[in-house]
Amino acid sequence: MTAVVARNLAKRFGRTVGLDGIDLEVAVGSTTAILGPNGAGKSTLLRLMAGLARPTGGSIEVGGEPAHQRTARARVGFIGHATGLYPELTARENLIFAARLRGVARWRERIEAQLEEAGLTRAADRRAGDFSRGMAQRLSIATGLIDEPEIVLLDEPFTGLDRVASDRLVARLQALRQSDRTLVLVSHDVALAARLADSAIVLRRGRVAHREDGGALDPQALENAYSAAAQRDSS
Amino acid sequence: MNALLAVLWKDLLTELRSRDRAIAMLLFSMLMVVIFHFSLPGGATAATRAYAPGLLWVAYVFAALLGLGRSFAIELENGAIEVLARAPVDRGWVLLGKTLANMLILGVVQALTALVFALFFEMNLLPVALPLAGVVALGSLGLCAVGTFFAAVAVRTRLREVMLPLLALPFYIPVLVAATRATNTLLETGSVSFASIHFLLVTDGSYLIASFILSDFVLDE
Repeated sequence: MTAVVARNLAKRFGRTVGLDGIDLEVAVGSTTAILGPNGAGKSTLLRLMAGLARPTGGSIEVGGEPAHQRTARARVGFIGHATGLYPELTARENLIFAARLRGVARWRERIEAQLEEAGLTRAADRRAGDFSRGMAQRLSIATGLIDEPEIVLLDEPFTGLDRVASDRLVARLQALRQSDRTLVLVSHDVALAARLADSAIVLRRGRVAHREDGGALDPQALENAYSAAAQRDSS
Repeated sequence: MNALLAVLWKDLLTELRSRDRAIAMLLFSMLMVVIFHFSLPGGATAATRAYAPGLLWVAYVFAALLGLGRSFAIELENGAIEVLARAPVDRGWVLLGKTLANMLILGVVQALTALVFALFFEMNLLPVALPLAGVVALGSLGLCAVGTFFAAVAVRTRLREVMLPLLALPFYIPVLVAATRATNTLLETGSVSFASIHFLLVTDGSYLIASFILSDFVLDE
């Protein structure tokens, strides 16, 4: 069973090539890491999965449907390094908005559960604009998971987090893995990706430069592939 | 429909908390009224009052453009536009929710501007207040429908402050012509011209349908 399938996927921005001929299958319940230096196309790939952009070539399907269709968007939760929060609204109001926008049934219970899960129950009625980066990221994750999506896309979610906040996020991701969700994680942290993921690709200039599948990943092989991609890119 | 109500609630609550957009629009439109008053020869005379409906609508149009530009800019600040774009609904509902929120915020600005306008141009708008509110609401619906759509288009461009007026103003012409005529007839005769109202209804409907259908593309990257 595959959650996400990309076939010969391409994305161009004018003359700039974002992605060029990506083939990828993400199995249901797996955790896939997408690694690569800046400008390799990691975020572009994730945004195509989230239905935030359309491919200029090839195809990308989520749950068997084109990723930009609303039925496909309903399966996906997206957590980026931008929080997607409204600073004027409280944490609870941000969650109410996310829940109502995504048509969550029994949203009041879901919101309280998400606040507790994120450790924000006591800060629920404080403005999101007053939150620290770590608190804002926890709230952002709570809004991304408000409708319990089958597939969770994470675009460098550790950006700007201190060690304590990072550890909390790792624990949250591990809990999500155990709940059989499909995770796709974009990261620069090879060691962390190797620890969390059971398959990985390394991108370089929009192409797959290295691929590892099937359970335990080899951190050293991934590190070498990442370094090679980064060095070839800067040379 | 849920998405429409969610966006409407969120936009109104955000504006109620910050008030920055409404205050900027209000100050701008009132300044325009003051400028119109002092730039017309002789101030408030019977001759200058003939221009009143046109001047009032020009103030409304530019206040609307100012507010509409901010309407999507706030969605960009923390990447919230992606939350809207990922909603598992027809994106037209999202755009419609923003259109209605923009219309309500503009409505408050228009009501206060009309009061100041009446004072400066020595006009008694009270006897025609209700039908005037109806004409203004119909005109504003057209302005906000097409303006919200183009605000979503312009927000991802480099020159978004310039792009929005360039894109929206040509589409504002039919609304402006019909709304000005309807307001003029109302102020002169005390009754509403059916032809202008009919034209406004058709224009509003066309703009709403077009922006709903095309919304799927404007919220894409």
